Amino acid sequence: MTEPSRSPVPPPEAALPGDAGVLTGVAASDAPRRRRRPGGIRSMLRSPLAWVTSIVVIWFAAAFLVLPNAVLLGETFFPGGEFSLAAIEKLLGSERAMRTLGNSFLLAVTLSITVNVVGVFIVLVTQYFRVRGARLLWLGYATTLIYGGIVLAAGYNFIYGRFGFVTNLMANWWPDLDRDWFSGYFAVTFVMTFATTTNHMLFLSSSLAKVDYASIEAAKLMGASSWTILRRIVLPVMKPMLFAVTVLTFLIGLGALTAPLVLGGPDFQTVAPLIIDLSRSPVTRDIAALLAIVLGVATMILLAIMNRAEKSGVYFSVAKVATPIQKQPIRNPLANAIVHVLAYVLWVIYLIPVVLIVVFSFVDARSILAGAITLDSFTLDNYIAVFSSASALRPFLVSVVYSALAAVIVVGGLLFVARMLQKHRNAITTAIEYVLHIPWILPIVLIALGLVMAFDQPQAIVANVVLTGTPVLLLIAYISVKIPFTLRLLKAAFASVPDSLEDASRILGARSLTTFRRVLIPLVLPTAAAITALNFNSLLDDYDAAIFLYHPLYQPLGVAIQESTRGENNLDAMPITFVYTVLLMVIMGVTMYLVYGRGARAGSPRRRSRSA
Amino acid sequence: MIRFEDVEVAFGDHRAVSQLNLEIQEGEFFTLLGPSGCGKTTALRALAGFVEPTGGRIHIAGRDVTRVPSEKRGVGMVFQNYALFPSMNVRDNIAFGLSVQKVPKAEQRRRVDEVAERTGLAAGQLDKHVSELSGGQQQRVAIARALALTPRILLLDEPLSNLDAKLRVQLREQLKQLQHEVGVTTVYVTHDQEEALTLSDRIAVLESGRLQQVGTPEEIYDRSATAFVCRFIGESNRLTPAVMDRLSGAGLDPSAESYIRPEKLHLVDAGEAADGTVTVDGTVAERTYHGSHSVYTIAVADATLRVSVPAGASGRRWEPGDAVRVSIDPRWVLQYPAA
Repeated sequence: MTEPSRSPVPPPEAALPGDAGVLTGVAASDAPRRRRRPGGIRSMLRSPLAWVTSIVVIWFAAAFLVLPNAVLLGETFFPGGEFSLAAIEKLLGSERAMRTLGNSFLLAVTLSITVNVVGVFIVLVTQYFRVRGARLLWLGYATTLIYGGIVLAAGYNFIYGRFGFVTNLMANWWPDLDRDWFSGYFAVTFVMTFATTTNHMLFLSSSLAKVDYASIEAAKLMGASSWTILRRIVLPVMKPMLFAVTVLTFLIGLGALTAPLVLGGPDFQTVAPLIIDLSRSPVTRDIAALLAIVLGVATMILLAIMNRAEKSGVYFSVAKVATPIQKQPIRNPLANAIVHVLAYVLWVIYLIPVVLIVVFSFVDARSILAGAITLDSFTLDNYIAVFSSASALRPFLVSVVYSALAAVIVVGGLLFVARMLQKHRNAITTAIEYVLHIPWILPIVLIALGLVMAFDQPQAIVANVVLTGTPVLLLIAYISVKIPFTLRLLKAAFASVPDSLEDASRILGARSLTTFRRVLIPLVLPTAAAITALNFNSLLDDYDAAIFLYHPLYQPLGVAIQESTRGENNLDAMPITFVYTVLLMVIMGVTMYLVYGRGARAGSPRRRSRSA
Repeated sequence: MIRFEDVEVAFGDHRAVSQLNLEIQEGEFFTLLGPSGCGKTTALRALAGFVEPTGGRIHIAGRDVTRVPSEKRGVGMVFQNYALFPSMNVRDNIAFGLSVQKVPKAEQRRRVDEVAERTGLAAGQLDKHVSELSGGQQQRVAIARALALTPRILLLDEPLSNLDAKLRVQLREQLKQLQHEVGVTTVYVTHDQEEALTLSDRIAVLESGRLQQVGTPEEIYDRSATAFVCRFIGESNRLTPAVMDRLSGAGLDPSAESYIRPEKLHLVDAGEAADGTVTVDGTVAERTYHGSHSVYTIAVADATLRVSVPAGASGRRWEPGDAVRVSIDPRWVLQYPAA
């Protein structure tokens, strides 16, 4: 929830950021019309594979999706087994808690406006208007795809923050400078505005691509101006997606964790960091839980509104075959010049942190602190330090192992589950599907806190093992939060496989497991591999779950980076954080390229293999 | 009314339209016909102003419009996919052009009602959302929207191709009638030759960006100017050298590529005389029944000829294996210089 760069909840229409078609071949709605399958419970119970899958998934869901939230609700409203509203009274009585709640809503409302303004603008200049260097602009704006969350907040902090390079540089000229100039409401809003346009880049761009170009030509022929076309033809088509990304942005603002934590300063603290704080003491843990519940309820209400709004009204193209959109020139020379200038100013804002982070990763710490970089300042020492010291590399390796394990387990397991859900439609599978979507509607903070509270005592469902304080719990959290996204895409992938292939395999004598293994899996494998890569990416720099659940001996990267931003004593860690960030950007950039870059080209191997 | 003068449209190395010269008269229903990729849609889009010709000029009503923006050409267009605005209801779609021109609301209403009635849209449908309409109704909305601005020229880009066969025939007739009533000069693009023959006052046949023939439907069909037109429009029998030998003395060029349409051939019993024509003996290889007529495949000398025989014309009917005689009237033989 609080990762500024990546939304936890993809809008319903776009199961996958960008172009779902690249991964799944066909969107679920485009799937070939299928015969109704005998999906009764009885037929499901005859399949041993379905038995095993059901038992495992029901156990996992009960233990790690339902129980933690039940415990959290229980401890908040039924402390000691008696119903009590004491937590609510404590919350209302706490000025600090109420102030952070107010700040969170303020941030959510602000971002809903600022992110939309910037997001819509960058989508239009890269995808709709004919702007010189649009490709270059896109690359600049897309930098938030490869770094976000704690990494991005730390990056801004090391550049503009109290001990940041720009601050140091300015202090050389103006000794009286308030070193905390980049802090509080303004800094958080600024950073999060530019960090969270990712949703616009991905989802809004894809909805713009769905605008039927013939309708623009038709409007032109009737004399409509560029502005009229944009206002009356293009934007209305994008309206549902615009609404969806606004809701997502609002939710991101509401649950913001890393940016306020690093840049909020004492004056602008929000709910999520407070929850972490309060959850550390048994006395205030009930307020932490209640605040998490408030976030959760707000999230659920907003998602419900989003779903309803999406169902009402048809805005998508009615054309059976939409003509691909072509870029529009801005005819008014003055408007054209203004748009170009704004586009490049934004581009510079987007690019400065990335460029400086890369540069600083090759600069010694003293020069950054002095705010004076010369040619002599450049060195490979930071990289050598990271790669030669086991302790410096350790957080990185810990995060790689966690992310890889979680990514592989969640995709591997859900391959079976998605298949079962898609093949057997009955009350049991419907219920399983709903339960598996629980992490979709809850903030990570709430999920993590629930896990901590549920498993700090023996629970029969996990053989009475106390999981809190073990390295396993973070892995479980990572698996849980990736379930909804993975499930949706895998189901779509299975849905795009024609029934006839399975029928053919069966008529040739293959058992269901053989059919699954040799016919279906190979067809969904490209999608599964892509989802694994994306899951790996998004977990690598996680902070939100890790801060609640990490084991002190296995400190993940996100936590290590956050610690490096805390005050003067940790400044030695700054260059190492720059190296981490560069490594993360490289890994994420490569993954993004492998998943989207190649697929986006016309006639990609994956597309070809699908049509073959 | 409309004149294409040496119009050429190239996309990179590919020449979509080359050296197009055409004249379309006021009030005419004119069709650009050809297989896909022949350049017909490109020619239409050049006329609409969506693509700029790389050479030549386009004139509308005596005015050079080659560089004039689309909206100032006084043309209305119905797109292949209709291009209805999905966020607006039917009335707003039709009124869009009027509202852009800031026509007063009351006047907009009146004109929308009028054009809706003319295009057969019921008043109750005007407040519906476009996605609630059937394909045929959507097409009417697209036409109504194009006509609402009372353009001098109406462009139609394969407007019937998204509809099922029966509706297509029905709307085809209504379209013709509507054009007749409104009297608007219409340029129609299609790859469906039957559509072109039934709708058009005149037809231009294109192939690979080049104009093959311009003429009335009868001219195009009965007097196809090139072998391509002959093969593309309707069915034809290519006459082999052995058959051409039999036709020697009828004033035909035996070395030319020669064709004849199946319905121009006549079938009689073996040995029966047929006056004024040349006959070829053969055997019935196959008969297919089409309701209004039957098509016989006749094996003759070194070839087969397909002969269309109207039902009930003579009451005669042959079965496979029957010996028959095909009579050929040399006047209907179409000849083209051998390739």
